Amino acid sequence: MILEARGITKRFPAVLALDRVDLQVRKGEVHAVLGQNGAGKTTLMNILFGLLQPDEGEIWLEGRRVQFRSPHDAIAHGIGMVHQTRRLVPAHTVLENIVLGHPSARGVLDLHSARRSVEALCRRYGIGVDLDARVWQLSEGEKQWVEILKALYGGARILILDEPTSALTPPEVRTLLNALQVLVREQGSTVLLVTHKLPIVLRASDMVTVLRSGRVVAHLKTQTTTEEELVRHMIGRDVSIRASEAAQRPRRPVLEVEGLSAYNDKGVLALRDVSFVLCEGEILGIAGVTGNGQDELAQVLSGLRPAAAGRVRFEGRDITHATPLQRWRVGIGYIPAERTTVGSIPAFSLVENTGLGYHFDPAFTRRGVLDYQGLERITRHILATYDVKAPHPYVSAQHLSGGNLQKLVLGRVLLRRPRLLIAHLPTQGLDVEAAAFVRARILEAKAEGAAILLISEDLDEILSLSDRIAPMYEGRLVAILPRGEADPETVGAMMAGLRPKEAVR
Amino acid sequence: MPELLLRSLEASTVFLFAALGELVDQRAGVLNVGIEGLMLFGGTLAFITAQTTGSYPLGFLVGFGVGALLGLVHGFFSVTLRGDQVVSGMGLWILSFGLTTYIGNPYTGPLGLPRIPALLGISPFVYLGVVLVVAVWFVLFRTGTGLAIRSVGENPAAADASGIDVARVRYLCVVFGGALAGVSGALYTLSYNPVWNYNFLMGWGFVSLALVFFSMWNPWILLAGSLLFGTMWQLSLAPELVLPGLLSRYVWRAVPFLVTILILAGISTAWFRTRWGLAKPEALGRPYVKG
Amino acid sequence: MRLGDRAFVLERRPTLPGLYGLVTAGVAILLALALASLLFLPGEADPASAYRIVFTYAFTNPYGLVATIHRAIYLLLCTFAFLVPLRAGLWNIGLPGQVYAGALAAFGVPFLLRAHAATAPSLAPGLVVVLMVLAATAAGAGCAGLAGVLRARFQVNEILVTMMLNSALFWLVADFIKEGGALMSATAEGESFVLPPFLQPPTAFGVPFTALIALLAAFGLDVLFARTALGFRIRAFGWSPPAARYAGIDPVRLPLLVFVVGGAFAGLAGYHYFGAVPGLYKIPSNYGYYGDLSFYGIICALIARGTALGAVPVALLFAGLSLGGRFAQGALHLPFGVDYAMLGLLMMTFVVSHVLYDFRLGERLAPRPPVPEVSAERP
Repeated sequence: MILEARGITKRFPAVLALDRVDLQVRKGEVHAVLGQNGAGKTTLMNILFGLLQPDEGEIWLEGRRVQFRSPHDAIAHGIGMVHQTRRLVPAHTVLENIVLGHPSARGVLDLHSARRSVEALCRRYGIGVDLDARVWQLSEGEKQWVEILKALYGGARILILDEPTSALTPPEVRTLLNALQVLVREQGSTVLLVTHKLPIVLRASDMVTVLRSGRVVAHLKTQTTTEEELVRHMIGRDVSIRASEAAQRPRRPVLEVEGLSAYNDKGVLALRDVSFVLCEGEILGIAGVTGNGQDELAQVLSGLRPAAAGRVRFEGRDITHATPLQRWRVGIGYIPAERTTVGSIPAFSLVENTGLGYHFDPAFTRRGVLDYQGLERITRHILATYDVKAPHPYVSAQHLSGGNLQKLVLGRVLLRRPRLLIAHLPTQGLDVEAAAFVRARILEAKAEGAAILLISEDLDEILSLSDRIAPMYEGRLVAILPRGEADPETVGAMMAGLRPKEAVR
Repeated sequence: MPELLLRSLEASTVFLFAALGELVDQRAGVLNVGIEGLMLFGGTLAFITAQTTGSYPLGFLVGFGVGALLGLVHGFFSVTLRGDQVVSGMGLWILSFGLTTYIGNPYTGPLGLPRIPALLGISPFVYLGVVLVVAVWFVLFRTGTGLAIRSVGENPAAADASGIDVARVRYLCVVFGGALAGVSGALYTLSYNPVWNYNFLMGWGFVSLALVFFSMWNPWILLAGSLLFGTMWQLSLAPELVLPGLLSRYVWRAVPFLVTILILAGISTAWFRTRWGLAKPEALGRPYVKG
Repeated sequence: MRLGDRAFVLERRPTLPGLYGLVTAGVAILLALALASLLFLPGEADPASAYRIVFTYAFTNPYGLVATIHRAIYLLLCTFAFLVPLRAGLWNIGLPGQVYAGALAAFGVPFLLRAHAATAPSLAPGLVVVLMVLAATAAGAGCAGLAGVLRARFQVNEILVTMMLNSALFWLVADFIKEGGALMSATAEGESFVLPPFLQPPTAFGVPFTALIALLAAFGLDVLFARTALGFRIRAFGWSPPAARYAGIDPVRLPLLVFVVGGAFAGLAGYHYFGAVPGLYKIPSNYGYYGDLSFYGIICALIARGTALGAVPVALLFAGLSLGGRFAQGALHLPFGVDYAMLGLLMMTFVVSHVLYDFRLGERLAPRPPVPEVSAERP
């Protein structure tokens, strides 16, 4: 037993995040920590890494009681962590990021010897990354490698990986899992793999601990368990994850995009010559790892970013340079990926958040006065029909959980009956039930004739909801495949940059 | 003419010290818009100390200490309480503006001490300023401490996960920045223009703040910028040397402020902004919340 | 912070009851007054009687009361000038500059119409007064608008621009009223001409019509923010510019609008004090003092937590304090700057009360191994 957590409890002001959690990890094993979003996995890992302090409980490392007041202590004890969200400094080089915080990097910086050590590490594990590149220039997969290198450079013998595969294409996932095997079998390291993805658990781990609502509900040997059993532990009952709909015959074109290009915030061309047509009653799924232009595509289509070239036509009218306000008015709805910073205002009440979608609507503004009572009515309607758990409509939005907030935003946008819906990462970070709810509502909108552009990193979601699928890579749509021709391997390969001829077997 | 140059150098030094301190502060991600207040307080208390004790070193020490103390307050509010940094900065400014007017009033007038001797004809603080620029550049870009500071300002979450104590780094930088601001104020009242008058800075602190933005957080550009500003200010006080009889002397006093606005607008054009935007510490002004 | 086996932690309050805001605002003011009593120590009387002098002069003395009301109107207008951009998340600290601009524009009107030196009106006086008001408002709006445009279109920091304008306009006023400047009085050096009697607006009980404007604005602004779509948009933008943009709110027109409105109030304040208050009717040589007074508007708005009506009693109080303070300063032979010091103290106590408002000292069972740390956690 190399690492043991006993009775870890952690309270936040509104919620009990971890309730007497025990964890036993043996040396040289790949130990998966499985659970839904919000089950407490990341909180537990943050405690093991010293980022947070437990309210109760102990950590034992190699038979001795330890206490990590900060990541500094954890790193000193040989624990390294690769986080769910990148914890790198985008403006600095790869080498600078790896060296940051390392004991040898006190006083005058000696980057030469550090470079030599890092290069040796790269050779040992077969990792290839340009040490002088700025991190913001790297792909998501490469950034992950940098974080792994950083943990290894810090001397980690226990490596914690928090949702490492969520931003990777299938080929990159394979490479990662192979590297983990090398780490464990050849170097004797121990790996803690935190994920909510069952296939990864089944493929890569030796033991799995399942967390649900902050409690450990199972501790199993991976070889002797099944997907269904794991799902039952994770959720507490059986839930079918896939929702499929028969493809409808598409009709009039609603959105025509021609040669659309746009720059990102760094002045780099992020969207290149994108063209497609979207008809009413159809869902076009843009598949791809974040960072390949999806953000920019969503922003240009919703009016939040200027187009550098190309044209966008909505129901025949040129809207390339239309403002967000004009787009809302003509019937375009946008569900942004950033639900707390763009899609809603946490400090506002739920009623005021509803107002974000109605302040320009003449039915709600008579002679400049905003009809707050009408907004309240709509809010109550949304709370009821979209299953949003909130004590009353005037509570402030910051008290809503991610899932409930997303349902509120969804309700606000869908209630306007948009004829074009742009859904950007609509189920990210949501638990299984909330995600299923959101997907069902999207399908409902499609059945009512809306044209839907679905941008998602969840390949399963794209495959099960879309009528046509367009993998996106480095700003281009690699292909547009009808549902029948799109299988996970093909789409996955295209997401990684393989051209259609090479990708199709 | 050489007199003008010397005086310009002295004016530049005032800007340089305050702006350099703020540069380090901002590199760690903390925005202190109230440096004018810290300069006022540092300058006022330094003036009073020097006049009553007759000791220049003591005066500068007091200026240093007051600035550091106020920087600590700002740090407490911004880092520990994670409050709005602009509110805190503005608060410190108004607080200083109000209190120094009252405290300094009995001391209105000239300092009455022999002037600080020049070194090779130039005020010693000019040399000190250059040394400081070199030191700041070296620490920020050639040491691990500097890498830590810059990382805290770009992405505190990354620094935290690397084992760096974000709060401690920010406190250190904000106190350093405050101390330099206090010294800068002392420079003004003890060396550049040793006469106390209420609100003697007349906006110089805010100009130093503009200077930090303008310098793209680079100590060398800051040095050049402060020389530019110092010269511009000196000229505005004695326009007859360059453009005799053109406008009233009051209008000339207004010109540097208008020029600063133009400069600020200029650095916000798209061309400048992509470089500037890349140079800006990503986390500037945003409190860091763990987890 | 540990004490035995209890740990003390600074926690953000999860909910903010409205009454608490009132209480903490009151605490701020009382605390400031308590601290300010230290200022009276060098004087000839103890703090208690000093305060009695301050308040009786400001609120019971007939001259003092009227002067207090004049100043309160001025502060109220300055408060609104700061408050409107504040609700949009923007800092208009260019109040003195906009006041100066307003004063210059207001006095420029009779100058251009050659009415300033006349003994009898050649144009309808009412019309000229209206023009003066409009000019002042427009000038203030224009200056602030410049800062607004630069901020909205180029993201230039509005604090810097407005502060630069403060200094620039200060000197511009000097240019106009000193050493033979255009608006200089023919008889006195260093100040502007005095408005001829026919341009001095009528007053009721010594209070000019600007009082009405200020009070109407107080109601109007609160209605604006609470009930109208525009007010909603301003508030949304103030909380989250990206979310506001997403919701269709114009990211350029809105900041520009709030700055223009704010500047208009400040310009009007400039007209009020120099052009409408009996006893002055000119831009005096110590105009800088009046400019500095405008900063009270910032504190007023902050203490009133952004409500316009709430600012009315606060403005009255501050006006009385600063006037009474000046009076007490003279009566008790205190050093100059008591009112300035009070300004500083109020700001300090406001920030302290802000902390009390947002935080509380929480207490909980410490984790078993000794871990000394002060941390602030949130969900």
